[in-house]
Amino acid sequence: MKLKDSFVELRARDRAKALLDEGTFRELLGPFERIESPHLEPQGIVPECDDGVVIARGLICGERAVVISIEGAFQGGGIGEVSGAKIAGALERAVKDNEKGIKTNAVIVHDSGGVRLQEANYGLLSIAEIQSAIVALRNYVPVIGVIPGKIGCFGGMSMTAGLFSKIVITREGRMTLNGPEVIEQEAGVAEFDSSDKRMIWDTIGGAQRQAIGLADVLADDDITAITEEVRIFVKEGKPSELRSSQVDLFLSRIKMVDPSKPIGPMDVREMWSKDYISKDVENIKSEAVKENEKVMSRGRIWFEKLTGISNPKVGDVPSVLCTDVNLGDEQVRYIAVIPNPNNRFPRARNGEVGLEEGWTVAKYVREAMEEDDGKEKKRPIIAVVDVPSQAYGYKEELLGIFQSCAGAVDAYASARYAGHPIVSLLVGPAISGAFLTHGYQANRIIALDDPGVLVHAMSKQSAARITKRSIEELDEAAKKVPSMAYDIQSYSTLGTLEELVSGIDGAAPKAEDIENIKEKLSKAIEVTRTSGIRDLSNRLTSEKALTGRAAGIKVRSRLKEEWN
Amino acid sequence: MEKLTFEYAATKSVPKRAYVGVVGSGDLEILLEPIEEKKAYVVVRTRFDGFEQIWRDMLDRFFEDNDIAVKIEINDFGATPGMVTMRLLQALEVSIDEA
Repeated sequence: MKLKDSFVELRARDRAKALLDEGTFRELLGPFERIESPHLEPQGIVPECDDGVVIARGLICGERAVVISIEGAFQGGGIGEVSGAKIAGALERAVKDNEKGIKTNAVIVHDSGGVRLQEANYGLLSIAEIQSAIVALRNYVPVIGVIPGKIGCFGGMSMTAGLFSKIVITREGRMTLNGPEVIEQEAGVAEFDSSDKRMIWDTIGGAQRQAIGLADVLADDDITAITEEVRIFVKEGKPSELRSSQVDLFLSRIKMVDPSKPIGPMDVREMWSKDYISKDVENIKSEAVKENEKVMSRGRIWFEKLTGISNPKVGDVPSVLCTDVNLGDEQVRYIAVIPNPNNRFPRARNGEVGLEEGWTVAKYVREAMEEDDGKEKKRPIIAVVDVPSQAYGYKEELLGIFQSCAGAVDAYASARYAGHPIVSLLVGPAISGAFLTHGYQANRIIALDDPGVLVHAMSKQSAARITKRSIEELDEAAKKVPSMAYDIQSYSTLGTLEELVSGIDGAAPKAEDIENIKEKLSKAIEVTRTSGIRDLSNRLTSEKALTGRAAGIKVRSRLKEEWN
Repeated sequence: MEKLTFEYAATKSVPKRAYVGVVGSGDLEILLEPIEEKKAYVVVRTRFDGFEQIWRDMLDRFFEDNDIAVKIEINDFGATPGMVTMRLLQALEVSIDEA
């Protein structure tokens, strides 16, 4: 009997080699080009010459392909400016190829803890760009994810996995939005005990994820077995249905869950294998609406003032507001996520993006797309952003909150590609997975220059715990690397903001402030339409981006040179 | 993190460049490139400060055994001396052996 050759034990480069047809591996931006992160050495962290990402061109089943392989052993596979730009840039090249009629397949080996907290906002921003490129690329070829472990995929990179057309996972692969340590830090040990390894694997491990349909194939940790599954998916071509687009299915599944009762991995396996009776779903809906209670928040204040509706009608998920009103002489759709103290899911009561919020945002965005289908001029969508975080909870992870967030990312990006101008207005915190879900896929981002407006990848307490530093050390590091800071002024140096609007109190806007912002929203919509740009490439061409994102720009231009 | 540089006299050339390892816990990466000059230059970036003498001893021994004109870059994430020596020999082997 032949012994198994472990795929998990391979390093990133050898994994890429194994996935490509023999002898076709050609690395782009390889080790000797020394394109390493410029942000680590100033913080006393040893960089790696390829920044932990291998980009390889070659053939799979004789077809043109790119393999992107993340090295989990280097900084936990964390996504920084360079590694993120390598992934996004390679996917963007593949999109360009396919647009020109040159079929190029894409396989991504995920082994990533998510955002590299030492580069924070660069990572979060890169992940938004990676996600945007995946949504575009899925229209041409299946974007295939391989999640072998040991790390698996966490944070924003689990949302990215939620966008994949097909996923091959092993028992050692994990998929989860919030890592156990982070949930324990944010929500307490009673919510999630990060020392209970058995419970963790049963909840977020590859076997469970595949069993509940969040991954397609559970493969043995064997090179031949894994490469064979990937080859099958390449041959099958793009699938007719994508997980992240199945809004109704997932919403109805989550509605059937009673969050006040304990629920375990085996319960989910059983529940999600059945078809649902719509009557039961209706019953739960009406109960939820009855419990609605009004709590003011920045998001709600701005939503009400911009729309002129002080008591917006709510759907069956009251924490997501959505309405169509005129802005100038055009109808636009406003969407906001707001606190609901009676939220069925206790971990999502303070305005966090939870299981129902992600899918509901997706629903409202897709509704606008369907209604405008075939129209020449698509309705603009304005995301009012005031999201403190994603919901940290056991049930959230068990029920695949990353997939819910991916659903919203998919909807926003798809709407943008379909020609809906998407504008985000940052009026409060825009943190981590919550911002990726609601706002980061916008064509243009406008932010208030207000101390309550923050952009970041993780709360300071959790970031300190994960990177094993003190909060003082983090603050010190942020002075050297602006992308690590939390304030909107530092964030604006990345060049992603269309405008940073000063002189407005984000918590109590005056009537003239509202008019001022409405004008800016209209202008952003117009600029978006005139530019004709539907991807996120304009984020790299602003004046500030030339310096703020110099490394990301360099990586992309080098990739272009070496692509063919 | 500490950055260390070392220099040795050398006479023999190696056929081609080699890359081995990973900047992961207890490991290191090595980039080895042949150079024209009769010298060996080594630049080490290491996670742990204060081990210059140990690095010097390891590299002295390596270049005593292997008279090669190369530029070597090491990015170290806490490898033991045994690991360092093994990776250096591996880099040399890749440089000489593989087609």
